[in-house]
Amino acid sequence: MAVIGKQPAGRAGASSFATTFRQLAESVGPEDAPGLRRALFGLIAAAALQGLGLAVIAPLFTAAATPGGLDRALSWFAALLLLMGAASALRWRAQGFDFDGRMVRATWRLRSRLGAKLREIPLEQLQDKRAGEMNAVVLGNVDENLLYALTVLNLVFAAVITPFCAALGLMLFDWRLGLLLLAVFPAIVPLYRWRRPALGRGKRILAQAHQEASADVLEYTQGLAILRAAGRAGEKAARLSQTFEKLEAIQVFGHRKGAKPNILVASVVELGLLAVLMIGVFLVTQGSLAPAALGAVFVIVVRLSEPLSTFILYTAMLEVMEAALERIGTLLAMAPLPQRTPAAMPTRHDIRFDAVSFTHARAETPTIRDFSAVLPEHSLTALVGPSGCGKTTLTRLLLRHFDPQEGAVQIGGLDLRQIPAEQLNDLISVVFQDVYLFNDTVLANIRMGRPDATEAEVRAAAQAAQCLDFIERLPQGWQTPLGEIGGRLSGGERQRISIARALLKDAPIVVLDEPTAALDTESELAVQRALDALVARKTVIVIAHRLSTIVGADQILVIEGGQLVQAGRHAALLDAGGRYARMWAAQGAVKRWSVGQ
Amino acid sequence: MAISEQMGTEAPGAAAVPDRRAGRKPSSPWRILKPVRGQIRLAMAISAGSALSALGVMVSLMLVVSALLERPGTMPWGALGAAALCTVASYAARLGAFNQAHYAAFRLERILRIGLANRLARVSLGYVEAQGAGALAKVIHDDVKALHVFVADSTPLYARAYVTPVVTFALLLLFDWRLALVALAVLALGWGILRGAQRRRRDMVRAYNAAREKVSAAVVEYVQAMPVVRNFDSGQSSFGRYQAALDGYLAVMLDWYRAAGFPARFSWLMLGPMPTLTLVLGAGLWLSAMGDLSVPRWLGVLLACTGMAEAMMPMMMLRHMIEKVGLSVARIEEVMAAPDLDDAEATPGPLAFDPAAPALRFDRVRFSYAPDLPPALDDVSFEVARGSVTALVGPSGAGKTTVARLVPRFWDVTAGKIEIGGHDIRKIGAERLMQQVAFVFQESFLFADTIAANIRIGRPEATEAEVIAAAKAAQAHDFITALPQGYETRAGERGVFLSGGQRQRIAIARALLQDRPLLVLDEATAFADPENEAELIAALSELMRGRTVIMVAHRLATVRDADQILVFERGCIVERGRHAALVAQGGLYAKLWQNYETAQNWSLGAARGGI
Repeated sequence: MAVIGKQPAGRAGASSFATTFRQLAESVGPEDAPGLRRALFGLIAAAALQGLGLAVIAPLFTAAATPGGLDRALSWFAALLLLMGAASALRWRAQGFDFDGRMVRATWRLRSRLGAKLREIPLEQLQDKRAGEMNAVVLGNVDENLLYALTVLNLVFAAVITPFCAALGLMLFDWRLGLLLLAVFPAIVPLYRWRRPALGRGKRILAQAHQEASADVLEYTQGLAILRAAGRAGEKAARLSQTFEKLEAIQVFGHRKGAKPNILVASVVELGLLAVLMIGVFLVTQGSLAPAALGAVFVIVVRLSEPLSTFILYTAMLEVMEAALERIGTLLAMAPLPQRTPAAMPTRHDIRFDAVSFTHARAETPTIRDFSAVLPEHSLTALVGPSGCGKTTLTRLLLRHFDPQEGAVQIGGLDLRQIPAEQLNDLISVVFQDVYLFNDTVLANIRMGRPDATEAEVRAAAQAAQCLDFIERLPQGWQTPLGEIGGRLSGGERQRISIARALLKDAPIVVLDEPTAALDTESELAVQRALDALVARKTVIVIAHRLSTIVGADQILVIEGGQLVQAGRHAALLDAGGRYARMWAAQGAVKRWSVGQ
Repeated sequence: MAISEQMGTEAPGAAAVPDRRAGRKPSSPWRILKPVRGQIRLAMAISAGSALSALGVMVSLMLVVSALLERPGTMPWGALGAAALCTVASYAARLGAFNQAHYAAFRLERILRIGLANRLARVSLGYVEAQGAGALAKVIHDDVKALHVFVADSTPLYARAYVTPVVTFALLLLFDWRLALVALAVLALGWGILRGAQRRRRDMVRAYNAAREKVSAAVVEYVQAMPVVRNFDSGQSSFGRYQAALDGYLAVMLDWYRAAGFPARFSWLMLGPMPTLTLVLGAGLWLSAMGDLSVPRWLGVLLACTGMAEAMMPMMMLRHMIEKVGLSVARIEEVMAAPDLDDAEATPGPLAFDPAAPALRFDRVRFSYAPDLPPALDDVSFEVARGSVTALVGPSGAGKTTVARLVPRFWDVTAGKIEIGGHDIRKIGAERLMQQVAFVFQESFLFADTIAANIRIGRPEATEAEVIAAAKAAQAHDFITALPQGYETRAGERGVFLSGGQRQRIAIARALLQDRPLLVLDEATAFADPENEAELIAALSELMRGRTVIMVAHRLATVRDADQILVFERGCIVERGRHAALVAQGGLYAKLWQNYETAQNWSLGAARGGI
């Protein structure tokens, strides 16, 4: 905490201020770290000078109220002008870091850096649901957290350093009054920090309640059709009303709990004010303090309490900023998957899984157990098995979204860990079940597969993928931006564009992850033709649910519970009469089913 | 003096930076306060009282010093007591206003949420589908929550921002009109320059919002599609878009700083307390040197002069947050204004269904999703006999799903009518209609409740035996009993993973328990995993037995034996009849059937002629 760092009260605070500053400096990068440091020191100095300036009011006002004290008053006024001028100039210069655009440029650089980082960190970490969403948020919101850094710190300094220095300055004028101020105001900060855990608890309870309410609301809107069909929507949705009532009760509870530290701090300020009032008046009646001096102290005290009153608001923002810095630091520290040396490129494209075992980061049981298989070059291998058996994990191991804990995956006899990431991506084309098209033109979306492809090559790929007819029907043909009309393309059309992309890339290895699972019949036929074009002369791995689509495979691997249970060609597997034969029989029965039978 | 006033979390410097979400026009947030208006007014009145008491403190302090100047040896008990009293009163009132505003805000949240949930229970389901369940949930939860900063945090500040400057200025005039004008001049200069800085604000806000939206779209694309990005893009083009969005954002921000930077910085400086204080001190020195100003009056001005700007600053800081609240208010009002499903024509009292009439009849139905869109259905007429199976087939976008959704009144027809048992469905009444129709759609939704409760939602009074019987008929009993807690296992996010086919079978059990005569199926087997497909189909057969069924089907083999097949193309029925006749006819259905057969017999790699 920046605040405590400037207080004699806490050593731990000093180190955490250093941490925050280090993270901040790291975030703005080496180009701007010195400038940032200068700006921060400028703000601190300005706050200190402003405190001294306030203290000057006491001798100034006292002198002015004393007959014949005008000359002294004028020289104190000159001192006040000087201090104010210096404080304003320092602050003005420090704020230049924001207003000259250096902070914005720094966050721009930071986001570019974070974006580049995302390309190399292991996909498993990126796609981890919780962390993944956070990363997107960081990428989208860094600026919001950092752009206000100086503004917030400025206000924090004004609330903490200014009173401290005002009290010190006042000590020179009247040590009793100075001491009195010193006793009241800076005490607020450690007091607040002492009570802060209660505030945090209140917030956590509230956040939890909101999370539950939010989930219940979503469930209500998603299940609305069913609830209404059952006559349990609206007033009759008793559970939802209960949720809202419970939320209100917790909000009230959390408000009471959370307000306590604030009330404590506020009470101290008010009591401090009254104490200064009483003691000051007592001193005046004793004749040891001029009434005008007391009046000046009132002016100072009133001045100091205003920034303190908003202090809690700023520290809340400071905490948000610290959390963001923490996240950014973690992201920047993530290492890519290790690259083994010497780096090498395979010359053949057969694939081998060699006694591979793999457990997901947070899972307890392995997803893949001791899996071995050989996929010869130019062969077609199908992975079949119930959902969740590990088929997709195997393809992700091949794409090196993560590394196996035991065993190795090889292409052309080379361990994947030896092949540089970019080159590995060049070797493999993937057609996913969920097609992702980019916010760009049709042409750019296909050309993405090979940026240097000529127009004729792009066209040829589109033709082979059965895309030509519908692309030419689009409002702006090849130049139609898919961001705007992406939703108007059917699933099959989107899938064919993604196949055209893969065709153009012309990688020696092709991975198909249930590419025809969610298509209507019409599209299915066209997609099937497109796939036939794609798999020619390639090493192919296909994940298939519909077994009839892979009866022609060179090799079918039947997987269950992350283990290989059967392998062979369709006919042989049928004869063997195991798991595969049972699946085949079940699907055959389904195929023949018809309503009204 | 006010420690606990501002609990918002936005940066104060934000006054110079515009807000975020573009699009909708913000609404005035005051209207939404209606249900708790009384309590808010109370909070504001208390807050105004607190502001007045705070000024009372200043006056008392001045009186304390004044009394001491006259009689230095005596305690000025009267003025001291007044100062103490005003301090305590101001503090207590501030807390009171803060609490009242917060309790009002919490109450308002609940009232609005329940109101919105009730609204959604009456609008057409089509509206819900078009808006999206997620977006509506966001309105009910997030947008209502976003009101907090306005209702709870700002309303007391508003009262202070209006009361304090006016009364303060009056006080200053009372103390010394010349010094009052000095204080006012500083304030006016600061404000004037700030206004100047905000002249281009509207354009800036628009540019800023647009740039921000581009950045978030690029981030979403870049992060979500990372596997595709890495496989096809090596990051070049999507990263380029991300970078371009960042560049655009940077340009807007730099432009903003260039245009508004100096005035914002300058007025920020002027509106701070020190310039006013310094000038009032200087002017006071001059006046008192002239012998024209008494110490107590001067002191009174010094104590009160910075209060004007101070009371107004929090409003400046909160201004853009309140504008953002306006956007949330607009979204809430939009949902509240969504039209009811028109039930005005519903015939009251019991309704006799004519057993001789067809179970379902479409009579020259025309339907458009929006007035300016071409009709999704045009002149569609057909009848479904009681207990028969009707299949809707055709290319995607031909109108099959629209037909399925018109029956349970997701939307109402634009022209023509739909009848069930001889009654126009608009006259049956929403509740009674629901008792006639059951539907199972592509993806079935399970509530985060026990499996038993999920089935029982079809008929809350069903006994346990009935629930189990329905589950058995839906081929779900076996896998349910294999779950850790059987029927008491919780489904949903925080519960066990169920496959698409398993969820679908629970939905079928639900429909079986409801036991309604008319059944609408839309692609009910689309997301089944092949593993469980056989069971799913057995469950469906059980559900269809003895009911009138209308089903949308892509896999044509399933409808070979339907009593009636309706072939749709571009919103019209182009062919109708039974399978064999339609195939023989050689029209659209025959072509679809042929495509289907070809696709069924395709096998990957067969065409590539071996290795």
